[in-house]
Amino acid sequence: MKKKLLSILLTTAMAAALLSGCGEAAPAPAAEAPAAEDASAEAEAEAPAAAAEAGSNSLTVWAWDANFNIPALKAAEADYKENVDADFTLNIVEQSQSSDIENAITLAGSSGDYSQLPDIVLFQDHYIQRYVADYPDAWIDVEDSGTDWSDFGAEKLSYSTIGGKHYGFPVDNGTCIMAYRVDLLEEAGYTIDDMTDCTWEKFIEVGEKVYEKTGKYLLSMDGDGNDLFYLMLQAEGMSQFKDGKPYITENETLVQIVNIIKEMCEKNVCYLANDWGDYTDQTIMGDMVAGVMNGNWIIPTIRQVAENSGKWEITNMPTIKGGGGYAANGGSSLYVTSNSKNPELAKKFLAATFGGSSQTYDNALRDGGVVTCCISAGKSDVYNEGVEYFNNTPVYAQIVEMSGHVPVIEQNDFHYSCRRYLAAAMININNGADVMEELKNAEDQLNFEMEGAAQ
Amino acid sequence: MIKKNRSMVQRRLIPTYIFLGIVSFLSVFPLYWMATAATNSTVEVARGKIIFGTQLANNMQKLLASQDLWGAMTNSFIYALAQTIVALFVCSLAGFGFELYHDKQKDRLFGILLLSMMVPGVATMIPLFKMMSTFGFLNTVWGFMLPAISTAFLIMMFRQNSRSFPVDIMEAARIDGVSEFGIYWRMYLPVMKATYAAAAVITFMNAWNAYLWPRVVMTSKDAQTMPMLIANLAAGYSVDYGVLMLGVLFCSVPTMVIFFILQKQFAEGITGAVK
Amino acid sequence: MNKRHKGIQAKQERAGWIYLMPATILLVVMSFYPIIQAFITSFRTGPSSRMKWASPLIWNYTRMFQDKLFIRSVSNTFLYLLIQVPIMLVLAMVLAQMLNDKDLKFKGFFRTCVFLPCATSLVSYSLIFKSLFATQGLMNHILTGLGILKENYNFLGTPGSAKAVIIIALLWRWTGYNMVFYLAGLQGIEYSVYEAAKIDGANSWQTFWDITVPLLRPTIIMTFIMSINGTLQLFDESVNLTSGGPANSTITMSHYIYNNSFGQGVANFGYASAMSFFVFVLVAVLAFINLKVGDTRD
Repeated sequence: MKKKLLSILLTTAMAAALLSGCGEAAPAPAAEAPAAEDASAEAEAEAPAAAAEAGSNSLTVWAWDANFNIPALKAAEADYKENVDADFTLNIVEQSQSSDIENAITLAGSSGDYSQLPDIVLFQDHYIQRYVADYPDAWIDVEDSGTDWSDFGAEKLSYSTIGGKHYGFPVDNGTCIMAYRVDLLEEAGYTIDDMTDCTWEKFIEVGEKVYEKTGKYLLSMDGDGNDLFYLMLQAEGMSQFKDGKPYITENETLVQIVNIIKEMCEKNVCYLANDWGDYTDQTIMGDMVAGVMNGNWIIPTIRQVAENSGKWEITNMPTIKGGGGYAANGGSSLYVTSNSKNPELAKKFLAATFGGSSQTYDNALRDGGVVTCCISAGKSDVYNEGVEYFNNTPVYAQIVEMSGHVPVIEQNDFHYSCRRYLAAAMININNGADVMEELKNAEDQLNFEMEGAAQ
Repeated sequence: MIKKNRSMVQRRLIPTYIFLGIVSFLSVFPLYWMATAATNSTVEVARGKIIFGTQLANNMQKLLASQDLWGAMTNSFIYALAQTIVALFVCSLAGFGFELYHDKQKDRLFGILLLSMMVPGVATMIPLFKMMSTFGFLNTVWGFMLPAISTAFLIMMFRQNSRSFPVDIMEAARIDGVSEFGIYWRMYLPVMKATYAAAAVITFMNAWNAYLWPRVVMTSKDAQTMPMLIANLAAGYSVDYGVLMLGVLFCSVPTMVIFFILQKQFAEGITGAVK
Repeated sequence: MNKRHKGIQAKQERAGWIYLMPATILLVVMSFYPIIQAFITSFRTGPSSRMKWASPLIWNYTRMFQDKLFIRSVSNTFLYLLIQVPIMLVLAMVLAQMLNDKDLKFKGFFRTCVFLPCATSLVSYSLIFKSLFATQGLMNHILTGLGILKENYNFLGTPGSAKAVIIIALLWRWTGYNMVFYLAGLQGIEYSVYEAAKIDGANSWQTFWDITVPLLRPTIIMTFIMSINGTLQLFDESVNLTSGGPANSTITMSHYIYNNSFGQGVANFGYASAMSFFVFVLVAVLAFINLKVGDTRD
């Protein structure tokens, strides 16, 4: 009798152990630390630690890409340590990709719990406007940081300026480069000067020759994300959107560009890879191409192929009518969140580093290949050094110079959606579908999606 | 005579051996490829090299420099172990109750619980996140495992296996004055060892490989797990495939080792599940 | 005596319920409560920080059936279901039968090999298959080397073959898993049953249909439900192997739902929830049919 009672009690107790364990933890998550969970206890300690150290000199930042953005942040940390505060520490939490941070903001905003956000986040330029609009409580502006904004390219700042206020510090410069294998051009009978300021027509002519002589494509692109449309359109000063609406079937320039891409694919001038990995690994690192056109952050990928050192040079993009095209792709900026316990320090740190410090930008370039958006920082010696891989030309100074020419075009929250639908259309077009029909489908689907979010 | 018979039997099995050989090869080859890739440079991997190379040390160095490998291994291990222990306890208790104390109502309840298998993970993410943040479980082992502790699958497995548990012994034990919980703890648990082993393998693998949910709740740097580390390696403007595959190797070996160790019990445990 | 007996029974009754409690409570809180939340959300629209009721309330649901991409994702998912699940389960059964042969040697070795793929994480195996089937990848090297293909084929870039690669990857990962269940079931069948059938003059096909299948019925139903459920919720393969491409020809329902909630810049949780609920109902109905068709136990 007693035994059975005991057994029931015991069972209940054991079953409840789970839940009671949770209950205890609820008010003070950091305090709860069962013996077996040392690591998690340490982990828990971290969030409150950020709070406890408010007023001290440590900041937490979330960023992605260990070979690119993170070295830039480390350079900034070292800069600040050396020149402002020797006790400063920057706690960098690596994320797998930009969407991790977007999801974290979405989750925080949806649940109203911003307490897990770090002081600073790196955020994709094309998304930030929407996230500031949807979750205004997640951010604080950086107007009073004392930064000279006129020192940055207008196109880059157009993303991080919302409602007339500056919210972000630009990190990398997405200015598009058109890189050519000079040795292969030569084999086909051309020089880099022939390609500078050229038309797409000329580009196709050269591309056919290059493919014939060397078996390499003059251009490759990720067919899934399709940066190609966007870059070609921007180089013409046009957007996929007009007055907040999709501008696709009625956009003659876009239709023309689609036809150019189709022609390039047919004539083996351009190779559309299946996805991003295929694009970087197969086409660029796999040495399939004689030309690469993308944001300058593609340079570290090009440089992976050591045996082609000295054979590359860069110039501007072709355009429909010729005369040099400029565009920007990708790129991100650093934003201070409302959860920062020490927003003054965060702003001060960002202003003193990404706000225009040559030391930060020089090291970011050296360690991560991150090219500055800050025009004066781009004039340093490091930027003007010839780069051996690019035939000793000062490519980085060239890029900073080009970044000043990138036209500001209409942006939209549905930027990437639009690109995805257009990419799908392009794949179908290359497989023989009708151009206008496919573009109409893409436009319909985009309108459908935008309607859904607007209701 | 018998010998001849045997060789005839083996001859009959030749097609079977060939077929199984091919299937085994196909099953193992991608894993072999993964292992070779871990010893090659990224350019070599991209070009399809499939023999072992010389870059292992180099890749290892890069991996350790860019990621907190041991931290992530420790975290994954602790979380997966904790989840396995708690899930086994909770689900075996339920399976035991459902089968050996079964009546119409409990069977009906079980049918309803089975529905939970069909809830798409994506749909529950936001409500669960809200819940975890209210309880203060973000970045804790609780946040990691609570949604995955009680699964219809495990309950079902224990329920099915309990069918082989001799009910007569239970009655005898009761007459001898053994408590209800004593029956579970001192009789059921030892008898069902194999089922526990099989359930442990499955739960541990699921916990170890979980990605989507941990990414949402484990936001802190020190709470990273192996699949997150791999995802970090696989993203970015340029991916180093040699380093990535080394990471994948580190992520795969523990689950494989556990399977190797518990293989026999695993098979027995599953056997019980479907008797 | 009778009274006392009743008392014991009541206690047993109570113990039985108490045993179920932790698991049941957890499932209710961690699965059913969220799905109810999702159901409520499915009638709302707008960004998640300031959602409002949709007008009309079923707006998200009517929208679903006008959404060409969602319909595409549904048909893709069902294609995987109809092709992959039967092949996988038949193959698993064949392998299990072979491994159950009492004269077979190296059983442990074969079984381990076939099961090993299950031990790799979803992220890893997607990456492995992506590399194998890349245009410059090993598959193409082999097929061109053997003269089967004239030039490298873009497996993941062509709608039909991309679907095939996903199916192959799924087969690779999950056949061994199901095989283990069947093998376990087969080992549970006494050898004498087969001997008796042999004496009665049944051929191996008859033995299989008349003895093995009925005895394995619970296992077969279980694997069917698990596979249907797994396939209808297919996510990682679509995301990691093909990112749903080319031109959305391989996108699955869960992947599309994810895209509408987390995957891209503009989240639409109301719509995503409505689609999730649709999947939930679909899986539940299919599983129910399966159980009704197969279950003999009352």
